[in-house]
Amino acid sequence: MDTLTQLVSGFSVALSPENLLFVFVGVLAGTIIGILPGLGPMTAIALMIPVAFGMDPTTAIIMLAGVYYGAVFGGSTSSILLNAPGIAGTVATSFDGYPMARDGRAGKALAVAAIASFVGGTVGVVGLMLIAPTLSKVAVSFGPAEYFGLMVLGLTAVVSLAGKNVTKGLISAVVGVIVALVGIDSATGTLRFTFDRPELYEGIDFLIVALGVFALAEVFVLLSRRGHGGAQGGVTSLRLSKREVRAMTPPALRGSVLGFFTGVLPGAGATVASFLSYSTEKRIASDGDTFGTGNIKGVAAPEAGNNGAAIGSFVPLLTLGVPGSGTTAILLGALLVLGVRPGPMMLEQHPGVFWGVVASMYIGSIVLLILNLPLIPLFAKVLNTPKAVLLPLVVVFCVMGVYGLSFSVFDLWLLIGFGVLGFLMRANSFPAAPLILGLILGGLMERNMRQALQISGGDWSVFVTKPIPAVLLALAAASLLPTVVGLIRRRRARADRGWEVPAA
Amino acid sequence: MSGTRARTRAVPAALAASALVLAGCGAEGADDGGEWTPQQPIEITAPADTGGGWDTLARTSSRIMEDAGLVDQSVQVVNKPGGGGAIGWSYIANNAGDPHKLFVTSPPILFVPLAGESDHDHSDFTPISRLATEYMTYLVPADSPMETFDDLVDELEDDPGAVSVAGGSAPGSMDHVALAGAADAAGVDAGELNYVAFDGGGEATTALLGGHVDAAVSGAGESMELIEAGEVKALAVSASERVDVLPDVPTLTELGVDFTFDIWRGVMGPPDMSQEEIAYYESVFAEMMEQDSWKEESSKLGWTDTYQDSADFEAFLDEKHTEFVDILDEVGLQ
Repeated sequence: MDTLTQLVSGFSVALSPENLLFVFVGVLAGTIIGILPGLGPMTAIALMIPVAFGMDPTTAIIMLAGVYYGAVFGGSTSSILLNAPGIAGTVATSFDGYPMARDGRAGKALAVAAIASFVGGTVGVVGLMLIAPTLSKVAVSFGPAEYFGLMVLGLTAVVSLAGKNVTKGLISAVVGVIVALVGIDSATGTLRFTFDRPELYEGIDFLIVALGVFALAEVFVLLSRRGHGGAQGGVTSLRLSKREVRAMTPPALRGSVLGFFTGVLPGAGATVASFLSYSTEKRIASDGDTFGTGNIKGVAAPEAGNNGAAIGSFVPLLTLGVPGSGTTAILLGALLVLGVRPGPMMLEQHPGVFWGVVASMYIGSIVLLILNLPLIPLFAKVLNTPKAVLLPLVVVFCVMGVYGLSFSVFDLWLLIGFGVLGFLMRANSFPAAPLILGLILGGLMERNMRQALQISGGDWSVFVTKPIPAVLLALAAASLLPTVVGLIRRRRARADRGWEVPAA
Repeated sequence: MSGTRARTRAVPAALAASALVLAGCGAEGADDGGEWTPQQPIEITAPADTGGGWDTLARTSSRIMEDAGLVDQSVQVVNKPGGGGAIGWSYIANNAGDPHKLFVTSPPILFVPLAGESDHDHSDFTPISRLATEYMTYLVPADSPMETFDDLVDELEDDPGAVSVAGGSAPGSMDHVALAGAADAAGVDAGELNYVAFDGGGEATTALLGGHVDAAVSGAGESMELIEAGEVKALAVSASERVDVLPDVPTLTELGVDFTFDIWRGVMGPPDMSQEEIAYYESVFAEMMEQDSWKEESSKLGWTDTYQDSADFEAFLDEKHTEFVDILDEVGLQ
């Protein structure tokens, strides 16, 4: 009951004309910036911080939150249309979203993404409202050992992302982990694989790798094929059939819940959420083998997951003052300057801010949906652009996105390097997704493992004697079982048949 | 090499000191006509991304300087992230003698070069003003059996390796040195500490809140909310006098531990600035800190004003540099 009165007062804050205007401005700016390949929520918020300076703190946080989830949503558009994810959280969306777009189902893919995002956002806000204070305990219950378990579980998704050839998938994942090692080792301060280049001290940004192996590699592939490359015909239909709605609903709901709880954990966030949602759905779906070829469940799950997580990451930020991701760290910085110090006292000291933000998120989710559904046909038209115009534009956006990170020409060379790597991988049928997964999760896994061991004094048993890591590691082992059994069975079957039937 | 550098730096420092005296006289009397004023927009570089501590300082300063009309030119903030600051510093070093390119700075300008991760160190630049300081807090979870800093020291003396202490920076950098210095001064073998490096103060305090580590070192600004709410206990603060934002937390000094650690913030310029240029900026930043808007912002961020002019700032940096070299030596990282 109390929550309800608070929420009503929150709505009275959020529905003031000024705040309403800035929810809209924030969501719109976030979506537009997020749609540009290479520009994600971090850039979007960084760009909007100067605008927020001098605003009323509540209005400012409402606007910046709008920018945040607007950009998370916008990122999926470039993932689906151009295979050019702007943030780690929408990489998983491109696995099935881009194949759908190439099949001429771009409109549908975008609609599924918009609706799933809305579902994820709404479930997230309800969670934030009802259980945020309780959840702050959950957020801190994850220490290094627990995160290690979570990252291992996330990495088992490699097997489902690897496609036909598990070995090639594993090789790709290992390359990703190696890339994650570049930079200053945070546990000892040692420089690893930096070749005396200060540009490499802080590691290789995820975005450079993702834009290289996905977007640039795709451009190279399209260039090397003669004739028209992009999707054609029927692009603009965004109407979903009843069957499709029925198919996408359970994955979207599961993804939302999974995403929200993953987002609550500082240090896991939208990326882990989207990969976990994707690989979970792939495992439990009856048509799991069509994931990766344009299955709408493969779009709905990660999109619901990353939006749920975006909202979930506000739990540690608002209740503990602890940023759970790079993006929320920037948000925290902005809030401090505005004089709002998020933390355990916030609900008591600034209830108006807290509930105003929660209420504005409801409004923001709706604005996002209303804003985007009518625009989908327009966005999808991008695919009708002639190859001669579209491909150079994709390159321009990739270069802009990477250059905007650090204003470093060195990073542009890295981008080209990863583009070539991605192209060579494609040409030799190495999947790129495990590389990205290895890059994102491998680095976190290593860091958390070493922190856990340092705390335990080098005792490895922490990973099995603590309940959460033990359960997570057991789940990881269990999720590998079907693949291993399948491999053995296939090998046996092949042996039975003798050698006359080569693998298809 | 560094010896020559130190000697050549001593001359401008002396000149800067005399310039200050002159500037002091000038403020009371008439202009002597020889004063320098900026001829083009002033650029303040934050050698990091938007949203971090350096960026906040740069943007806050530029806004107050412009709003209060302290400078005739506009003040632009430029972000040069990368290499923990090294990219931004080499950009400034490449603009030697350009008095329109300042940068905001804090202890990493000492630590990053000490770790061998930057071609430039503090002695390559012109110190202009130290502005404010934030202090370190030594924290334990609310339900920890440790109640005082002495309890922590006792535990550390028993078995330094058995107490895990989280910090938000790499070994050999800020949080680690703040811990090692205090431990060393309290008579604990700093080389045996079990320091667990996290990625930023937020992660370190999260690990503390969850009880995954026994203690943590964190900036007062980051931790004061949690201390107030009773989520964590602050055993000590690394200042010599009690800090306004944490009036109930004892200082290391009053606990008999002879060690202080400042997370100072300041402004520096490129190499080869003239005494007039330094004097101009000294008075601009001194005036900036008199503004109500500055006082308001800096208390929000948990900072204490600790202004120093160019000469004092330079002496302070050299002193801290020597102190840190000793501590790192103690820990076995130098």
